[in-house]
Amino acid sequence: MKATIRHSLVAALGIVALTFAVAPVAAHATVPKAGTIKLGYFGPLTGSNAVEGIDMENAAKLAIDNWNKKGGVLGDQITLDAQDSPCVAAVAVQAAQKLVTDGVVGVVGPYCSSDAIPASVIYHRAGIPFITGASTNPKLTEQGFDDVFRTVGRDDEQGVFAASIMAGWHAKRIAIVHDNTTYAHGLATQTQVALAKHPGMKVVFFDAIVPGSRDFTAILTRIRSVKPDVTYFTGYVADGGLFVKQFVSLGVPGRIMAGDANNGAEFISLAGKASEKAFITGALLPQMVPSAAGFVKQFTAKYHLAPGPYSGYTYDAMDILLYAIQKTGSTNGATLVRFLKGLKNYPGVTGPITFTSTGDRKQIQYTLLTVRHGQFVRAM
Amino acid sequence: MDTFLQQVINGLTLGSFYALVALGYTMVYGIIRLINFAHGDLFMVGAFAGLSLLSSLGGLAGKMSPFVIIPLVFIVPMATVGLMGAVIERLAYRPLRRAPRLSPLITAIGVSLALEIAVELLTKAQYQLFPSVLPSTVWSIGNVVISAAQVLIVPVTLALMAALYLFVQRTMLGKAMRAIAIDQDTAQMMGINVDSLISLTFFVGGALAAAAGVMFGTYYGSINFDMGFLLGLKAFTAAVLGGIGNIPGAMLGGYLLGLLETFAAGYISGEWKDVFAFLILIGVLTLRPTGILGEHVVEKI
Amino acid sequence: MLSLPSRLPRPAWLTTPLSRFVVAAIVLAALVVVPFGLNNYYITLLTNISVYAMLGLGLNIVVGYAGLLDLGYAAFFAIGAYVAAYLMTTYNWSFWLMLPLGAALAAVFGIIIGAPTLRLRSDYLAIVTLGFGEITRISATNFSFTGGPNGIPSIPEPTLGNFTFQTPLQYYFLALALALVTLFCVARLGNSRIGRAWAYIREDELAAQAMGINTTRIKLLAYALGAVWAGLAGCFLAVQLTAIDPTSFTFNTSVQILIIVVLGGLGSIPGVILGAVVVIVTPELLRFLPPDQQPLRLLLFALALILLMIFRPEGLWPSRQRRREMHSYDVSLVGTAEAAAEAELVQEGAEP
Repeated sequence: MKATIRHSLVAALGIVALTFAVAPVAAHATVPKAGTIKLGYFGPLTGSNAVEGIDMENAAKLAIDNWNKKGGVLGDQITLDAQDSPCVAAVAVQAAQKLVTDGVVGVVGPYCSSDAIPASVIYHRAGIPFITGASTNPKLTEQGFDDVFRTVGRDDEQGVFAASIMAGWHAKRIAIVHDNTTYAHGLATQTQVALAKHPGMKVVFFDAIVPGSRDFTAILTRIRSVKPDVTYFTGYVADGGLFVKQFVSLGVPGRIMAGDANNGAEFISLAGKASEKAFITGALLPQMVPSAAGFVKQFTAKYHLAPGPYSGYTYDAMDILLYAIQKTGSTNGATLVRFLKGLKNYPGVTGPITFTSTGDRKQIQYTLLTVRHGQFVRAM
Repeated sequence: MDTFLQQVINGLTLGSFYALVALGYTMVYGIIRLINFAHGDLFMVGAFAGLSLLSSLGGLAGKMSPFVIIPLVFIVPMATVGLMGAVIERLAYRPLRRAPRLSPLITAIGVSLALEIAVELLTKAQYQLFPSVLPSTVWSIGNVVISAAQVLIVPVTLALMAALYLFVQRTMLGKAMRAIAIDQDTAQMMGINVDSLISLTFFVGGALAAAAGVMFGTYYGSINFDMGFLLGLKAFTAAVLGGIGNIPGAMLGGYLLGLLETFAAGYISGEWKDVFAFLILIGVLTLRPTGILGEHVVEKI
Repeated sequence: MLSLPSRLPRPAWLTTPLSRFVVAAIVLAALVVVPFGLNNYYITLLTNISVYAMLGLGLNIVVGYAGLLDLGYAAFFAIGAYVAAYLMTTYNWSFWLMLPLGAALAAVFGIIIGAPTLRLRSDYLAIVTLGFGEITRISATNFSFTGGPNGIPSIPEPTLGNFTFQTPLQYYFLALALALVTLFCVARLGNSRIGRAWAYIREDELAAQAMGINTTRIKLLAYALGAVWAGLAGCFLAVQLTAIDPTSFTFNTSVQILIIVVLGGLGSIPGVILGAVVVIVTPELLRFLPPDQQPLRLLLFALALILLMIFRPEGLWPSRQRRREMHSYDVSLVGTAEAAAEAELVQEGAEP
């Protein structure tokens, strides 16, 4: 009996030791080396949204590299701590905790709003400023956290803009198609709300596609039968490109318009010739912003990929964080937040940046784009 | 009427993909009772195999006559992916043939994940454009639009399915496969080389999935590493709908699901279409627990 | 035949009830004390393991005990989470009320989902349960009272008198408590009359019916009692994340939970817990990889799955009965010392 108790104790301690021995191997949680400053990025580096996640991480890295070339910030070199957050809230929380434990002084990302909101709670509790370049869910900045910012516009602003464009075309019958993700659904409903203010304009079709299904012929045939003047697709580029292509090949009447998630080179390659018939609402692309002339060239040269729809916003997010650190001479969260809130018209690659009191981007300048000779051009 | 016809064309096209992939699921299930979750990914790999072939041919592809390039872009991926399917069976499933039913299922999930990640790493998760080997002509009869690709997809699918059916029903190999599906041990005792025939089953299933992948790439123009997952799941649903283990059932199930989904999206709601499809599936199974054409399994006491 | 030797002698420290109690007490003490010294990342890891252990234990009832292949288990997880989220944000009800409500509603859902599957053969019911899982997720995404794709944010923190749960450590203890309750109940269920009835149905449904077991009732009980734990886990998730949305309850989630159960060992409670540890920890092990090699993390997981299943198909810590079943054809061991030792253990009352 005594022997078994002894064995039991040894075994139990063994189990405990083993369980917690795994942990140090696992995380390599490191406090930043002296002489470096760590910034964090989290977003989908694996899974079906990896394209966008990698794209945004590239943008963040580019911003850091540009600052490091100028001597870093506060005399220290900057390192990027990038964590995978594949659009599952529970994993996002894990990634956020990892960044906090690793001692980052600011965070940019993620891609999915489902990650942004639970993660923002963690960053807020740790007093770390968090700027998103892709999350458009209005609720993110309505939680009452003063350290959450976004460089990307909100859905309600883009919706108003889209409605005004359609009004300018004297469109009467509007079809709106989203994909039941936070962003697309938000933009679609906001557009519908904005259209309600224009008498004589009616939403004759409001439905969703399933992202990734590739075959939109069924729903496009139904749209064709209601004869809209404008069809507005608010989903993401992987579907948008194909949607537009099938829209044109099925001969659906009226114009086709897409939301700003389609502002990437992928749209042009996926839609092919049909892209020339499409219009896209969105912020000015970096290549059209005077202060951002070098961004596209730099990005393409470094990564051999064209920048995606959210690279510019993410670049700006990281860039503005580093600027804040440099200008305030501090990495203290509260100091940075105060500075960011007071910043006016910072020259970003997506245009001049000013934050509202809730951390949203003030008056992003929207424009209408189309495609000519395989490039995005302004349509207005 | 135009809309209705258009939706029928849309549904038949979609259904062709489901049917071809469903065949693979049903054959493997019929012979070793495994739901091969990795099968949808073979469809994806087939598309990428086709893409690699076309890229490596490069400019040569444009100069070849369609009568050479089209069969080539089918046969090479079909052979390679078929082989891959057989190899996967040999390495990952055969050791588990006597294991509890759920263990190979988990292995299949692992294989599926591994295939997706391998392609994800190779393509850096980017969408790849699939060059079209078909002329992009489009015919319209009234308001109904049909493309050259669509005109080919359904007949090619039907031809492949007919070939498979004849193979299974009329040849000795096919008869042996059916024997194994009924009673593996007895078949072995009758001198049938069970291992080889199971490998053959996986080969044929993989080949069919690859054919579907190539046509998919041609039709939609873009492929990426996780396109197999959703379609594989739908194809499995189609196989069950028609009666799993039953080849005509898979064909029927595939087309039925394609049409069902298309009509649900076309006439009811795009965002609820999958719910309708599943509800109908559940309804069918409630009335006919072994699927539409499913064989009534006699329970031996 | 590839497999690790299964005829390892049972370790001494697991044989007698006293030694098992001592081991359990020590592990429990460690789980309570050690986290005070860990940073938030590890605490969150342990919390997630607790949640997925609950989910695995619940699915274990359906798949492991009753032998029903459920591919849509995440639906019950979603029910618990949405019930808690909706009632707490709209009516400000207390979290503690959510637990029984979420559990009860999940159980009802279990019966609803289970009912059409009663006549189906095992793999058909897999598709039906998958279908229900997707129907639940799509409905949550489309309905506006569930918040649509945005889900429900700003879920308040649970309070106990004057105390509010705030830090990850506090949430960890809440999760641990819930997981221990689950563990206790599921273990009891496994050893009860219902548990034996489930085993009977799993092995030979026709014979069970012939013996007078009401298979309909027993199967529905499996679904209902299995769903309860997912409901509880869902309630916890809602307050842990403070915002829930449909992307937490996908088919992938259901698959992940199934992997936990099969990998750990069907029907085995320590196996399921070990499975939860492996499934949660393995992808985290390689977080330090450079970003463009991140998919390798999951590749490691995939390879681990494949190899573990090939070399140990009965699971990491299979229940003794499974081990017996797996190697029951090993007739060479009849009459040997091992067989005698095993018979002795059975007589001592060691649980299967």
